[in-house]
Amino acid sequence: MTENPTPRPLSRRTFLTAGAGVVGAAMIGSRLIAAPTAMASPRLLGAAVPSGRPQKQVHLAGTDGWVSMPQGAPADPPFFPDPLAPTGFNTYVFGFRNVTGMTSTQVAAQRGHAQISAPMLSFDQEDDVTITLTNLGLLQRPDLFDGHTLHWHGFVNAIPLFDGVPELSLAVPVGRDLSYFYRPHDAGTYMYHCHFEDVEHVQMGMTGMVFIRPSQNSSPVGTDPVGTKYAYNDGDGSTRYDREFAFMITELWSAAHYRDAHIQVSNWTDYDPSFWLLNGRGFPDTTQPNGDPNSTAAGRLQYQPISSLVTCNAGDRVLLRFSNLGYQNHAMTVDNIDLQIVAKDASLLKGRDGTTNYISTNTVDVGPGNSRDVIFQAPGPGEYLLYDRNYSYLENGGGPGYGGMMTKILVGAPGTYQPQTVANS
Amino acid sequence: MSLVSRLAARRVFGAGSVAALVVAVVVTTPHTAQAATSEGLLCDTNAQQTFSLTAEEGYISTPDGNSIYMWSYGNSSRGFQLPGPTLCVTSGQPVTVILHNTLREETSIVFPGQTGVKANGNPAQPELSSAGALTSLVQGAAATGGSITYTFTAGSPGTYLYESGTDVDKQVQMGMFGALVVRPAGSSAQVNNRPDSAFNPQHEYVFLLSEVDPDLHLAVERSQPINWPAYKARYFMINGRSMPDTLASNNASWLPNQPYGALVHIRPYDAVSNPLPAVIRYLNAGTVNYPFHPHGSDERVVNKDGQALEGPTGQDLSYQKYDLDVQPGQSVDALMDWRDVEHWDPVTNPIPTQIPAITDQLLVGTDTWFSESPYLGIKNPLPTTITSNNVCGEYYHIAHSHALEQATNYGATFGGMMTVFRIDPPAGCQAK
Repeated sequence: MTENPTPRPLSRRTFLTAGAGVVGAAMIGSRLIAAPTAMASPRLLGAAVPSGRPQKQVHLAGTDGWVSMPQGAPADPPFFPDPLAPTGFNTYVFGFRNVTGMTSTQVAAQRGHAQISAPMLSFDQEDDVTITLTNLGLLQRPDLFDGHTLHWHGFVNAIPLFDGVPELSLAVPVGRDLSYFYRPHDAGTYMYHCHFEDVEHVQMGMTGMVFIRPSQNSSPVGTDPVGTKYAYNDGDGSTRYDREFAFMITELWSAAHYRDAHIQVSNWTDYDPSFWLLNGRGFPDTTQPNGDPNSTAAGRLQYQPISSLVTCNAGDRVLLRFSNLGYQNHAMTVDNIDLQIVAKDASLLKGRDGTTNYISTNTVDVGPGNSRDVIFQAPGPGEYLLYDRNYSYLENGGGPGYGGMMTKILVGAPGTYQPQTVANS
Repeated sequence: MSLVSRLAARRVFGAGSVAALVVAVVVTTPHTAQAATSEGLLCDTNAQQTFSLTAEEGYISTPDGNSIYMWSYGNSSRGFQLPGPTLCVTSGQPVTVILHNTLREETSIVFPGQTGVKANGNPAQPELSSAGALTSLVQGAAATGGSITYTFTAGSPGTYLYESGTDVDKQVQMGMFGALVVRPAGSSAQVNNRPDSAFNPQHEYVFLLSEVDPDLHLAVERSQPINWPAYKARYFMINGRSMPDTLASNNASWLPNQPYGALVHIRPYDAVSNPLPAVIRYLNAGTVNYPFHPHGSDERVVNKDGQALEGPTGQDLSYQKYDLDVQPGQSVDALMDWRDVEHWDPVTNPIPTQIPAITDQLLVGTDTWFSESPYLGIKNPLPTTITSNNVCGEYYHIAHSHALEQATNYGATFGGMMTVFRIDPPAGCQAK
């Protein structure tokens, strides 16, 4: 695959730092056409109403592509490696790309260049968020006219139009787009995924993290200095953190991915995954640095740009955000570091009367569709492992040695790692 | 992906949907003990708290046209049903359950969470063979005509399973389970004794979750050996039904042996006119975790396994979830509502983005639930090729297992352990 002809390469990193920088309605609605006369109702209410809130615009594209499960994984013919895969890759996927700021020509050029996990999104509480989803179609399967949607999983008090369930609202057909609008009021760790034929499109890779930063960040509690970061509006500073790392937990069933590439169907009740992934990568790829899907520099990991390597300084408070869009429970554990669960499913563990019910543990169970926010205080310098305590998920395609749902926590002496500017850096 | 299966599933969904929701089918039932309600919890209840159940065989239907041989408990005066009747009792009061067995093998009932359980007046205890091997978790009723009477004191307020204690992996998989709702004495509209567990009794629901391996049921029907290593669940159910049958009314005529629907039907929260939440009582009669994901709203878990979530001096330890893990044998009682936070209005408070033209977008299938409007209570015209199931601009959200292979009917998407939450406009739903 050649480098994408994008003069303004926009990586996940760029997006995260961009924040409110990418403002403007240029692409919003640009592909929408006027309602036909059969549709009598007033639908073109397009003019944005100034709300006084920060306006955040994101443009995602849904398409297919090819990625690489870890080297050395044993063959599982005919499913893995997929013989149709371009050089360097071995697995067919569907996925999202962040195409914010690209021209329509550049956006169209991303067809067939999906990434897994999906771009990591973050917003501030009370932002006005517009996410435009373009369906670029499937380069490998032009016979399929699957729609795509955006389901913000866990968004509270959602309305159907922006919930992304095609049977109960709309899906985006190939070649069109749809703008979803959100006004998040509740801080926390969420996830997003396509809900079109969800059992297939989620397994194929259309899954990503989204988190909402609390308003408490702009008015720190107690004596905390301006700039202090919190996971939640805790009122007492108990979710303060120095560094954050987010993990999209998924499994990958090679046979289903093969069948999708080869015009065959899967019986999803036969679900039998082959790889267990953090942010779309299996160990040891999980520890490789962040990449950029617009650059070939990362080679076989070009379309798996999100690192799961945790780096921190001794004494740092480290926030781990886990979201599970696999179909199995996962028990994330760290040896020799105590973990504190402060929230489940984007809800702080405090009762309605304010009773704090945080959980201290060394193993964090995350069910399918669940999220957890976990804070630990980094111990002395050293190397620690973060992994799924279900040891059968610590392999790559049944092969020997360690793989799967595992990564490293590197703790340096104070000052070793510079302050973090974006998650997972 | 598969277009054929997608369209097939859609067709079934559409057909069921029209009958289930647009036409309000209320089937008159002869059972005076059951409230005549087409939605929500149907309780078997009586002043004596005495119930007669018959263990028997029967058939259920699945949305893809399959017919599956089951064993279950029926109310002895009504006949076979899946799941067994939902028994509603008051905490601390005596309960009697008489079990008649028409099956060709011994069976029994265990009542986890209840106190002082007795079988024919003797303390409930495991049964052993003469060689000392365990044969049943509790005393049972003999095959083909045996009976046994269980008595107990209803346990702490909450929701419980009752299920077979004999050859448990086979008999429970065959369908021998039901729900037991224990209400706090004197406050039946609370989940437990805490006032903050109050719910609207018009919006009370039981979601009894289970799974079926049809090959195993066929083997039992044919008296063939069961191949346990090959066990593979293919159907995933709420109250003995799979999506879209979950949306059909209670006692729907075309589901004669599956009387319990799972449609949640509410109006938006309002501090004055609609202050109380609905309650959903989740139960897992299956073999694996069911991570149940409601769209559109978090749910507040206030009770687990019949115990209030509170600290030693009454601290509130309830918590909100957008995906409720319900583990095998467990119950989770959750309060839910949906709040119109933004109060979008096409004139006074329009959504500040371009609203899509429906003809630019993809409507899967020949019918839709969508009102073609983002605004609650507003219903817009559809292209003439599409049938609307929407009555008055009401909202629909799905709720389903997020182990997504469980949200299928034998692999066909948008089925299985899934239902719909319907949200009507605040003033009610007048057809438009």
